[in-house]
Amino acid sequence: MTTTTHEAVVAVWQLESARVVSGLLRITRDLQLAEDLAQDALVAALESWPDDGIPANPGAWLMTVAKRRAIDTFRRAERHRAHVERIGHDLSEASMDELVDQVDHVEDDVLRLMFLTCHPALTPESRAALTLRLVGGLTTEEIARGFLVKDTAVGQRISRAKRTLAESGATLEMPTGAERTERLDDVMAVIYLVFNEGYAATAGTSWMRTDLCLEALRLARMLAALAPGDAEVHGLQALLELQASRLHARTTSTGEAVLLEEQDRARWDHLLIRRGLAALARAEGTGQPVGAYTVQAAIAACHARARRAEDTDWVRIAALYDLLSAAGDNPVVEVNRSAAHGRAFGPAAGLAVLDAVAHDAGAAYGHQWHAVRGDLLSRAGRGTEASAEFRTAASLTRNDAERSLLLRRAESG
Amino acid sequence: MRYMVMLTMRSDVGPPPPELVEAMDVAMTEAVGSGLLIDAGGLMGEDATTFTLRSGALARVDGPFAEAKEVVGGYSVLDVRSHEEAVEGARRMMQIHLDHWPGWEGSCDVRRISGREEGPPTS
Repeated sequence: MTTTTHEAVVAVWQLESARVVSGLLRITRDLQLAEDLAQDALVAALESWPDDGIPANPGAWLMTVAKRRAIDTFRRAERHRAHVERIGHDLSEASMDELVDQVDHVEDDVLRLMFLTCHPALTPESRAALTLRLVGGLTTEEIARGFLVKDTAVGQRISRAKRTLAESGATLEMPTGAERTERLDDVMAVIYLVFNEGYAATAGTSWMRTDLCLEALRLARMLAALAPGDAEVHGLQALLELQASRLHARTTSTGEAVLLEEQDRARWDHLLIRRGLAALARAEGTGQPVGAYTVQAAIAACHARARRAEDTDWVRIAALYDLLSAAGDNPVVEVNRSAAHGRAFGPAAGLAVLDAVAHDAGAAYGHQWHAVRGDLLSRAGRGTEASAEFRTAASLTRNDAERSLLLRRAESG
Repeated sequence: MRYMVMLTMRSDVGPPPPELVEAMDVAMTEAVGSGLLIDAGGLMGEDATTFTLRSGALARVDGPFAEAKEVVGGYSVLDVRSHEEAVEGARRMMQIHLDHWPGWEGSCDVRRISGREEGPPTS
């Protein structure tokens, strides 16, 4: 055990950081202080583990060090005398076993931390950055790489977010009832945003950024374990497991995009499919009304269950899109619904749905609208019109790989 | 990145003590909950069959085996960000064996699963 490297310490840290930060947050009630103390513990680990080896229970070790620093900090600041007494009391009475217990039973702490980092007072981008940083344990550099922005921009975004939280008086209380449902929706939206940022990278040369997808998947798994009584968290996990199962089939070896129906299904990740279907069964098994993530997961499951593209149950997929459509006014859903209806009931049925969707070149889904219209026209044998739609779609997308795919389709009509 | 962790032990090791089973349950629930552990299984010994191909001859031996031998008794599949993270996952499992199964001896291999799980070569 003599090869404890810097990387090994960081790996252990990433496994423990959410629990260490959230446990410290419970004690300090101060996000900045909690993170500073956690960082101090990491520095201490980097100093001693390379020589001493990784402790048998590294989580408890990090927590003990961080708590001692917390006491030192409070002792130095006299105005926090009340805190000193409370924390000093906690720690002096805490034997190692109790500390181990505290580290092992802090699920609620991590969930509270997720509610805080996804707080409604923050912008969606800040929520994503703060969640990846404090719950995922990622560095500022890793987050910046994921979102294709500068390190300094992420650093500033995180500092600003922490200030906003402090100023808004956001608390660590566990929300209940309708508020809990709303806040859980916020957390799920952040995880979904991170996944999509990776999956359908809106700009840049790569079709997707796998690392970001896998971070989101990890967060979705965490959330499902932290709030297992809520159906929709399992639906979100199912959706992301199933989407991720196709990650490496979505591009050729040269980085060109491959549409779902043309993907080599042998390259789908069948372990993730199995996990996705199991999570979907958990969502449906709660007996609660299903939400949008669960319905989307059910759609993804239809694709996952089809051994060949021609076996796809498009009638069921169209019905599931009808469900999504009835739940809200979302043009992206309508565009996908038209594609499903086209497959299930013929191109004319698909075009009827699509042409009812308001669209303009400025809309974020504009390229999808034209791409789906091109596909439906092509299936209807209207090649010339189809090519024109594909070319319009290509001119609207900001993704290089998607653009070349659309231009290839424009060529073939 | 995806890793397989394989636990090798003697085939005549006998059933694990309840303390180990309990500690492993706790650890595995935690590892599933953090997204680290994505698959795991124990490998049963009774019906094992071994094929060997040596000097151009294919041979088959069916268990149970008269003599104790080293076998892979279980595996887990980990979804990790680094080799070190997989190593730490494996170390924890071995630590649990050290703490809760007196006298148990064995080894643990941490191997990266190659190929498509690593994502497209362009990323």
